[in-house]
Amino acid sequence: MSKLGRVVESVENYNKFVLDQVKRARTDEKFGRELLGRWIDIKAKIPTTRTPTGLPLPRLALPEIDEPGEIARYLYGEGLPGEFPYLNAAYREMYLESVREIESFEKTNGRTRPEPARRGEGAPDKKIPQAEEPTRLFSGLMLAEDTNERFHYLTRHQRTHRLSTAFDGPTLYGIDSDADGVFGKIGEGGVAIDTVEDMVRLYDGFDLGSPNFSASMTISGPAPIIMAMYIAAAKRRFGPKVVPKLRGTIQADIFKEVQAQNETIFPIEPSLRFLTDMVEFTTREMPRWYPISISGYHIGEAGSTPVQQAAYTLSNGFAYVEMFGGRGIPVDQFGPRLSFFLDCGLDAEYIALARVSRRIWAIGMRDVFGAGPKAQLYKLHTQTSGRSLIAAEFKNNLTRTAAELVLAYMNATNSCHSNSADEPFTTPTEEWIRLAAHGQAILLEESGIFKHTMNMLSGSPGMKAVERSVEAAILDEFREIERLGGVLSAVEERYQRSQIQNAAHRYEQQIYDGIRPIVGLNRYRDGDEEIPEVKLVRTPRSKQQLQVDRLAKFKKKNAEKAKRALDKLAEVADGGENVFPTLLDAAEVCSLGQITGRLQEVVGRFRPMV
Amino acid sequence: MSSPIRILTAVPICDGHDSAINTINLEFIRHGIEVIYLGYHRSVSDIVRAAIQEDVRAIGISSYNGGHIEFFAEVVNLLRKKGADDIKVFGGGGGTITHDDAAIMKGKGVEEVFFAGTSLEEMVKFVHQRYGKLRGKRPRPKSGDQELARGLSAIEDAYAKRKRSTLKGRIRNPQSAIRTSRVIGFTGPGGAGKTTLIDELVLRFLNRNSKGRIAILSHDPSVVGEGALLGDRATMINSQDDRVFMRSMATRGQAGGLSPATRDCLTRLAQSNFDYVIIETVGTGQEAMPFQKNGIVDLTVLVMNPDYGSRLQLQKIVMLDLADIVVVNKSDLQRARTAHTEIEQRLEQNRRSQRLIDTVAKRHRDPGVDKLFGLITRKEL
Repeated sequence: MSKLGRVVESVENYNKFVLDQVKRARTDEKFGRELLGRWIDIKAKIPTTRTPTGLPLPRLALPEIDEPGEIARYLYGEGLPGEFPYLNAAYREMYLESVREIESFEKTNGRTRPEPARRGEGAPDKKIPQAEEPTRLFSGLMLAEDTNERFHYLTRHQRTHRLSTAFDGPTLYGIDSDADGVFGKIGEGGVAIDTVEDMVRLYDGFDLGSPNFSASMTISGPAPIIMAMYIAAAKRRFGPKVVPKLRGTIQADIFKEVQAQNETIFPIEPSLRFLTDMVEFTTREMPRWYPISISGYHIGEAGSTPVQQAAYTLSNGFAYVEMFGGRGIPVDQFGPRLSFFLDCGLDAEYIALARVSRRIWAIGMRDVFGAGPKAQLYKLHTQTSGRSLIAAEFKNNLTRTAAELVLAYMNATNSCHSNSADEPFTTPTEEWIRLAAHGQAILLEESGIFKHTMNMLSGSPGMKAVERSVEAAILDEFREIERLGGVLSAVEERYQRSQIQNAAHRYEQQIYDGIRPIVGLNRYRDGDEEIPEVKLVRTPRSKQQLQVDRLAKFKKKNAEKAKRALDKLAEVADGGENVFPTLLDAAEVCSLGQITGRLQEVVGRFRPMV
Repeated sequence: MSSPIRILTAVPICDGHDSAINTINLEFIRHGIEVIYLGYHRSVSDIVRAAIQEDVRAIGISSYNGGHIEFFAEVVNLLRKKGADDIKVFGGGGGTITHDDAAIMKGKGVEEVFFAGTSLEEMVKFVHQRYGKLRGKRPRPKSGDQELARGLSAIEDAYAKRKRSTLKGRIRNPQSAIRTSRVIGFTGPGGAGKTTLIDELVLRFLNRNSKGRIAILSHDPSVVGEGALLGDRATMINSQDDRVFMRSMATRGQAGGLSPATRDCLTRLAQSNFDYVIIETVGTGQEAMPFQKNGIVDLTVLVMNPDYGSRLQLQKIVMLDLADIVVVNKSDLQRARTAHTEIEQRLEQNRRSQRLIDTVAKRHRDPGVDKLFGLITRKEL
């Protein structure tokens, strides 16, 4: 049985364990009393807060139960926020504003005033473990300096600078801006990065070693090369001592590329080897870095069902854990540096998809891989669904995204990106980005849905029903993958790909048949085709040319050093040792395309699956 | 009856968004269209080369990663430059292509741009109406490949009209015809890795022979309604090269892994100055015998998957008697050793000097594939 089969078993066993505890709580009087006592204790310790209208509310909402069996079902089956198996949340408190003291409220004689002065001064608040805003907006356009400007615009009011970088097509495929036939694609859909010099420009003005800075980079195929360039850029600006302080995430998810997103540049096995090389390095040298973001987003966007998305993401995650463990990296060292990325659309599954994922991950990590608490957490970044947005009557996209945000936060996501309404046509423009960001602020700061009480919307009978149903369906998917010999074999047999493609086809058919209502498309469609007026972001030819020219200069300047670095790289890649240190040297003097090309000579190119 | 419409579909370079095109491809083939799918992340020159070699009526491009104005225009321009502007270009990109963009693209010679919300039905209708009519008089071919491609179309068309006798220059006795190429036939069950293996052999040929050319005649089954998804090019990354002429054929209702027009097309290719002509059948069953004794094929290779079932199954595979070389691909699979032994025993019964080779075609620089390449290129075999 592969590890995935054992994960299925571990979840089944855990569910059995929960039922046993329920039964025991009802039959074993002493145990029942203990549980009841614990429950009363927990409730007594929950602080009370006040809404601006003066309504007192508990900081944590718990079910109204006082029967030991039900208490056992809750405590073991779901866990309090921040407690195993983490169904409700990975952390004890999330999104909450600081407690409004009852006394201070009473002193103002019932007039509601939130304490803007105190909060503004940034009074230290030990009760909120997560001090960062969960907003992280994805951005990347034109050349490095243009994206840099956008980054500064996006973070100008934020205490913490959490940048999320989108790369252009040539960069995602590991080729240079001067490659044959890519003119026109340079800086489209993301930023063009060819060299370490571009990387320096990209994050100019940000303090890369600061605890308030983190960079997220959405790239997988050439991730180890881009990672090496980032490190090289940081060293150029802050010296070698900055390396252990670097904070951020690089996507580097090879499985989902092969399953859905098609941005793989080396064959699967060497791709996984280079990934593991990088993870081995960052785990040792960059303890604050997340070297992989196990991503369901692109699986969802490629057309999978929500259950497929969750199941493939989890199973890919477990496969990576097995692989990194196989390299001899201890699970408790790399485990806490894994993070996840899910899509959130409008289907009913999204009511609890991430909640269920978090629970399965925790159980599998603890019971199959022997991970400690920190390595059991399914730390999640969510993005609202791009696929759910449509061009027709595109302003409706604001409503779609708002509904998806509610679902994402109901699932206690650790951070979230809200899509811009203009996304169906273009790289988002500033006007719509602003609205997208404000959507989150309205939900989290203006509205009282999330800021007063943890679990405000959790635990409804409907949510429970979705949880049960989704968990069973995910385990079924695991069994199928297990039957095919595990994740890698299933990937090679194109199992996940065909499942995703079938689901995508069904989705389109449903829209066409009208079974799946899309407002403005197959429902309530306005007779006239609305031609949306949006300001398009396109990279001018002159800028594209500038990038090509800069690259030529870089290549000329470093020609000799590059040759030596590439020879060395090829030699190491041909042997079996970790290529990452050599990659770090190469990144100083070689372009992305030079490195990719040389590595492909040694290990081959990825053969697409159709 | 005329030939089904042949079109080529592709996703541009640096773009992996293949969800839409996959859905569209399926819809096209359900409606009788033969689709040569080139895959995603494809350059302008790959697309134009393939369109000319496959002699398609039109190219459908699905672009979601920007740069579409330049990309579509470059495809149109290169077609023009190659004298192939009777191959038309259409496409779409959901909401990423605006109406303004589309107007510019049409000004540059793109026939049609579909916007978000276009139904699959409309696209099918467009292809049928626009490309279903017979082609008018075509300009003189500008290159040998173009001439050859049109010749192959003429053969396919003649078979579709069941007017073989009208075929100009039809070869009645292929063995006696002037042969310039060595013809190698690949067959075997579906999923054994024939396509990957051929592509790896092509890579070795291109690396070791700096001037020679190679032709590939690849087959995929037609589905009910007579459409077909001809998808081999999408995975053959090494075979998209000016020194490789590749043609994808649908079986058009014929059983046995080949098309009614295969023999004539193959003969034509064999006379066209390629060093090697490789023919690949559809994934075949046990009884299949696609290459006849004394036919035009010089060397036959049977590619097997180690998972063929019980030893008894081997007795039923006719090609095991006929193949010159038997390849057990995917020899990294657990069952491969057993498979090797069982097939070896089976071949010994034949008392011919058949060769048995283990390969892992998906592995870069696989020594088994090197060995196979050596065998194929050694003339005496």
